[in-house]
Amino acid sequence: MARNDTLHREVEDLIYREATLLDRKKWEEWLDLFTEDAVYWVPAWRSEEETTDDPDTQLNLIYLRNRGGLEDRVFRIESRDSYASVPLDRTVHLVGNVVVGDANGETVAATANCIVHTYGKKGGMTRGSLYDYVLRRVDGALKIAKKKIVFIDDRLEGPIDVYHL
Amino acid sequence: MEGTNFRAPEAARLLKMVDDRPAERVFRVDRSIYTDPEVFDAEIKHIFEGNWIFACHESQVANPGDYFSIEVGRQPVVIWRQPDGEIKGFINACSHRAAILMPYRQGNAKTITCRFHGWTYGCEGRCMRIKGEDTGYDGSFDRAHYNLKEVPRIAAYRGFVFVSLAANVAPLEDFLGATKAWIDLMVDQSPDGLEVVPGAPSYMIGGNWKMQAENGVDGYHVSTVHRVFATTMSARQSRDNRQGMAQTEAGRIVGNVPTASYDLGNGHMAIWATHTTPEVRPIWEARERLKATLPAGKVDWILNKGRNLMLFPNVLLMDNPSTQIRVMKPIAPDRTEVTVYCVAPKGESKAARSARLRKFEDFYLTAGMATSDDISALEDTYAGSLARYTPWNEMVRGWDATVKGPDAEAKKLGFEPVTSNPNWDHEILFHGFYRQWAKLIGNSNGKR
Repeated sequence: MARNDTLHREVEDLIYREATLLDRKKWEEWLDLFTEDAVYWVPAWRSEEETTDDPDTQLNLIYLRNRGGLEDRVFRIESRDSYASVPLDRTVHLVGNVVVGDANGETVAATANCIVHTYGKKGGMTRGSLYDYVLRRVDGALKIAKKKIVFIDDRLEGPIDVYHL
Repeated sequence: MEGTNFRAPEAARLLKMVDDRPAERVFRVDRSIYTDPEVFDAEIKHIFEGNWIFACHESQVANPGDYFSIEVGRQPVVIWRQPDGEIKGFINACSHRAAILMPYRQGNAKTITCRFHGWTYGCEGRCMRIKGEDTGYDGSFDRAHYNLKEVPRIAAYRGFVFVSLAANVAPLEDFLGATKAWIDLMVDQSPDGLEVVPGAPSYMIGGNWKMQAENGVDGYHVSTVHRVFATTMSARQSRDNRQGMAQTEAGRIVGNVPTASYDLGNGHMAIWATHTTPEVRPIWEARERLKATLPAGKVDWILNKGRNLMLFPNVLLMDNPSTQIRVMKPIAPDRTEVTVYCVAPKGESKAARSARLRKFEDFYLTAGMATSDDISALEDTYAGSLARYTPWNEMVRGWDATVKGPDAEAKKLGFEPVTSNPNWDHEILFHGFYRQWAKLIGNSNGKR
């Protein structure tokens, strides 16, 4: 099957824009990239080699069933009342290896890798994540319907919030 | 107690860090108790490697051959379930050249072959095979000499497994004392006991292990550090209008509910706060069964009190919006590794299990919306403790309200604290923690 360059470009644009909005701390615009029913999932490691894979029966670092869960996170950040979020860490996301999977009607799957450099009270830290996206077309525009993040660190140097991932 | 090569003058210096003069209404701790490397070394030796510490939950080694790797102080230990069901503990290092034996934190093996030179051990600790034994050693060679070293003491109370690298310690149940009633409150929630749910995140705190121990039973910080959790949950509720167990209660955080705190003896401490909405807790579905099978006072304690228990020195058992085992491992004065396990009653409904997990993730993790704030606060207290011009942490809040022995609620459940305080923001429970600390550090030179 020939690569659909238009779709590929559209997916990349969305994924890059998400990272940019997190780093520029444009929280409301970041939230707007997600569908109302978006699932945001960061599994925990259940052993040295496997992550948890069933949120109903296993623990995760973050498992949010809809965009409201992300709005909670933004509320807490913007409240300026969270010890871990004042002062706020600086971050740079570098997203690459974008692979666009099957498009199926209004949804398209994609994967990407992300290196996040964080700077805060503890100094600089660089960490990596694997992204799995399900994107869905809403009123003509692609939005994030599901984002699964496998954060490869296990012994976590905290705090970890949505902008660190 | 071991510790013969710990010099007495140093022990005396360390003991001065706990200024305990109750007749003069003085109780204070020198902040260098958190930062001093000599304190840390003495703690590893005399507290973590010299007395009972929590090892694991029995469900983590449920079947014959199941193993679970831990560190006791600085020493690698593996807890290993035997074919007959007994649980044993061994130094997790090859008798030959000390390579760590178990490749994973948790697994199953009836025998283990060292990946370095290929020596093989059975789960009972027997050295079974030595690569090239017949070509490298003479006739006097005794393979049994290389059996794995068994930890001197291992014992379990209701599924919670503890070990001691010192043989000369009190029986486990004597050590646990008044905490047994609190452990029972968790275990008795299901006729089949507890299980640890898969997924065990660890995190590092840039602070001292005693700061985490205090924080787990410090009700006083809740209404400041976790105020934002309460306002966030309140905003969530107005937005989503969640029902049933999907709601998160934050009444304890806002305050104005009955609370209490206890010095439980032997360094153990505990607090509780009354739930304002017990019907949103996962255990609520079991209330009729609990009422039919347990004394009314105990059921009230299970359903209506959010509880944190600090078992000296290395584990917190918490039963609040969710339930957890939180294990602390001291790495350095300013480095503490914490591993959290979600523990749950076996056989609860799928909806309750799922709700328990979501509540856990909301609050308890370094990626959660409350524990991450605790960690930042603890790291700040570590940095502040380096200021030698202001050396003392006073722990006197609530002194005049202290009751010797049990309060009315303790009598209702039937446990005997050393002291009770009618508020979880009192600080008198910490006296018991630091007296146990001083007892163990002090005994290291044979006197107190």
